[in-house]
Amino acid sequence: MKRVGVFICHCGTNIASVVDVKKVAEVAKSFPDVVYATDYQYMCSDPGQELIRKAIKEHRLDRVVVASCSPRLHEPTFRKTVESVGMNPYLFEMANIREQCAWVHAKDKEGATAKAIDLVRMAVSKVRRNAPLFGSTIPITKKALVIGAGIAGMQAALDIADAGYKVTLLDREPTIGGNMVKLDKTFPTLDCSA
Amino acid sequence: MVAAAQHPNIELVTYAEVENVSGYVGNFEVTIRKKARSVDPAKCTGCGTCWEKCPSKVDSEFDLGLSKRKAIYMPFPQAVPAVPVIDREHCRQFTKGKCGICQKLCPAKAVDYEQQDEVYTDKFGAVVVATGYDLFKWEEAYGEYGYGKFPDVITGMHFERMNNASGPTGGRIVRPSDGKEPKTVVFIKCVGSRDEAKGKSYCSRACCMYTAKHAHQVIDKIPDAQAIVFYMDIRTPGKAYEEFCQRIIDEGAVYVRGRVSRVFQDGDKLIVRGEDTLLGRQVEVAADLVVLATAMVPSEGWEDVAKLVNLSTDKDGFFQEAHPKLRPVETFTAGVFLAGACQGPKDIPDTVAQASGAAVKVCQLLSKDEMDTDPVIATVDESLCSGCAMCHPICPYKAIDFKTITERVQGKEISRQVSAVNSGLCQGCGACTVACPSSALNLRGFTNEQILAEVDAVCL
Repeated sequence: MKRVGVFICHCGTNIASVVDVKKVAEVAKSFPDVVYATDYQYMCSDPGQELIRKAIKEHRLDRVVVASCSPRLHEPTFRKTVESVGMNPYLFEMANIREQCAWVHAKDKEGATAKAIDLVRMAVSKVRRNAPLFGSTIPITKKALVIGAGIAGMQAALDIADAGYKVTLLDREPTIGGNMVKLDKTFPTLDCSA
Repeated sequence: MVAAAQHPNIELVTYAEVENVSGYVGNFEVTIRKKARSVDPAKCTGCGTCWEKCPSKVDSEFDLGLSKRKAIYMPFPQAVPAVPVIDREHCRQFTKGKCGICQKLCPAKAVDYEQQDEVYTDKFGAVVVATGYDLFKWEEAYGEYGYGKFPDVITGMHFERMNNASGPTGGRIVRPSDGKEPKTVVFIKCVGSRDEAKGKSYCSRACCMYTAKHAHQVIDKIPDAQAIVFYMDIRTPGKAYEEFCQRIIDEGAVYVRGRVSRVFQDGDKLIVRGEDTLLGRQVEVAADLVVLATAMVPSEGWEDVAKLVNLSTDKDGFFQEAHPKLRPVETFTAGVFLAGACQGPKDIPDTVAQASGAAVKVCQLLSKDEMDTDPVIATVDESLCSGCAMCHPICPYKAIDFKTITERVQGKEISRQVSAVNSGLCQGCGACTVACPSSALNLRGFTNEQILAEVDAVCL
C-alpha cells in the first residue's frame, strides 16, 4: 500500500478564483492510495511547505502530489521540501492547475474544476508508480574554454581567471579584441575602447 | 586586452578554431586547430621589419578596406599577441613560390614558411560561447542607398575606424572618395534593423547610442559641421543614455524623424531624400558623407558553432538561452554558457554584465570537485533492445551509442550490439523513448508504465 498526500494550492486568487480548490481536495481523497488531501493559499510559502512536512510525518506519507503552478519554478522547491523530511525527492509529483488550467479556462469555472480534478488524478496515478531515483556524481575538469575573445569573451575569461581557475581564451583572428578594438570612444562615457 | 593577455590563469589561443567538441558537462574534450601563423611566436620580437619590407599589399580587413596591409601583418598596432601572421593567400612565397624577403630580413629568424596547422585536444569543465556579431550586409539589401556603389556611403564601423587615433586616417573624419573633410554628415538609423521587408525584425539596441556618439564626434572634430540623423525612434533605455543623447541634440545634432527613401550622387554631393514625419513633408539634404547604422547579425560561422556545441538558435541565428528571464546565460547543453552579442544584439555595458554572469555560472560549476547528475535520464533494457539504432539520430545530445554485450542463447555465447546511454550527455528529454520500436528505452521517472498510468487515469 502506498500512502499518497495531495496538496492543492490556491496561488492566492490565481487558481482559487477559477478552480473550486476545496472540491478538488475533497475528490482527491477518493483516489486510490490517497490518505490525505488538503488545500492552502500558497503552497510554496514557508507555512505551505511546513504544512507538507507536517502531513508527511503525521500521516506517514510516502508519496506527495502538489497541484499548483508550472513545475518550472517550484518543482525544485517542493522536491527539497519532501527531501528535508527524509523522502526521496522523486516520489513527489506536481500537477499544473494554474498555467494549464486556471489561467486558460478562466471563463469556465466548472470545466476548469473538472479538468483540475483530472490533472490531479493523473498525477496521483503516476506518483503511485514512482520509484526512488538517485543521481550519481561525475568529476569536473577545473578549466574553462572561452570561444571568442571580444568584449564578452575577455570579460568572462578575466572573471573566471580571477576566481582562480585556468581559462583558454580562443579566437579565430590573429589577435584578441574582436569588434571592440575597432571602435573608437564608447558611449555613454566616451572612454577608450581598447 | 592587456589584462587578459597577462593574466597567469589565461592561455591565449589565437588564429585558432574549434574543430570538435565531445564529452559532457564537467568533462568536455575539445579539438582545437591552431592555424599556421608562419611566424614562430617564441622567436618573434614584433619589430616590424617583415611587414615594412613585404612587397604584397591587400585591403585591410581590420580597417574594412579603408587602408592597405601587407601579406605578413599585424591587424593593428596594439594586437595581442604582438606577433604577425602570413596571409598565405596573398603572400608571394606561397602563391608564386618565390620572394622570401621577410624570412631573409627577420633578425630573429622567426619566419617559418613550413609551419603546419597544429591540431590538439584539451579537456575543459565548462565552455563559454562568446562569438559576437557581424554587421548586416546592407549592400545586398538596400538599393535605395546605392547597394554600396557610392564610396561615401559607409557604415558606423567604417566611421569608428576613421575616428580611431590608430586607424587609417589617424583619427580624422574624411570622405573615402577624395579624402576631404565632410561638412554635412547624414546618419541613417535602423538600416537592417526593425525592417522585416529587407532586413531583420529586431532592434539592434546599440545603434541609437553610437549614432548619437558619432554625431557628437562630427560636431566635435569638424568646425562648422552639421550632423543630421534620420531616425524611426530614439531608443535610449540605459543608465545615463537619454541624458547622453539629449546632450548631443543640445550640441546641435539635427534629428529628423523619418525614413530615407533614396540616396543618390549629384556631383560630389550625396543627395539624401527622406521624409520628416513630424513636419509631414519630404526633405532633401545635400550631404558629403552618409553613415549607416547597420543591424547586428550573428557572427559568420554561427551555424558551425551551434553544431559543435549543440546550441539552439532563434530565427535569426542568435544562440538560444535556456530561459529568457530566469536562465539568460545557460543553454540547453549543460556546461555551455553564452556571453555577449552571440545571444542577441547588445551594447557594451550589457555585454560586460552578461559575461560576468556567465563567468559566475562557470565558477559555480568549477568550484566543485564532483557534480551531482540528474537521475532523470534514459535507460536501455538490453534484453529488449534489438540494436536497430533508431534512437541514435533522434537524440539531440548525441548521448546514445552502441555497446557490445555478450549473452547466452540456447547454450551458446553470442555477442551483439545494443544501444547505451551516456549518463553525462543525456538531458532526459525522452525523445529516444518515443522512437524506440521495441520499448527498450525508458526515461527514469517517466517510464512508459508511468505515462500510460496517467493516460489511463484521464481516459478510463
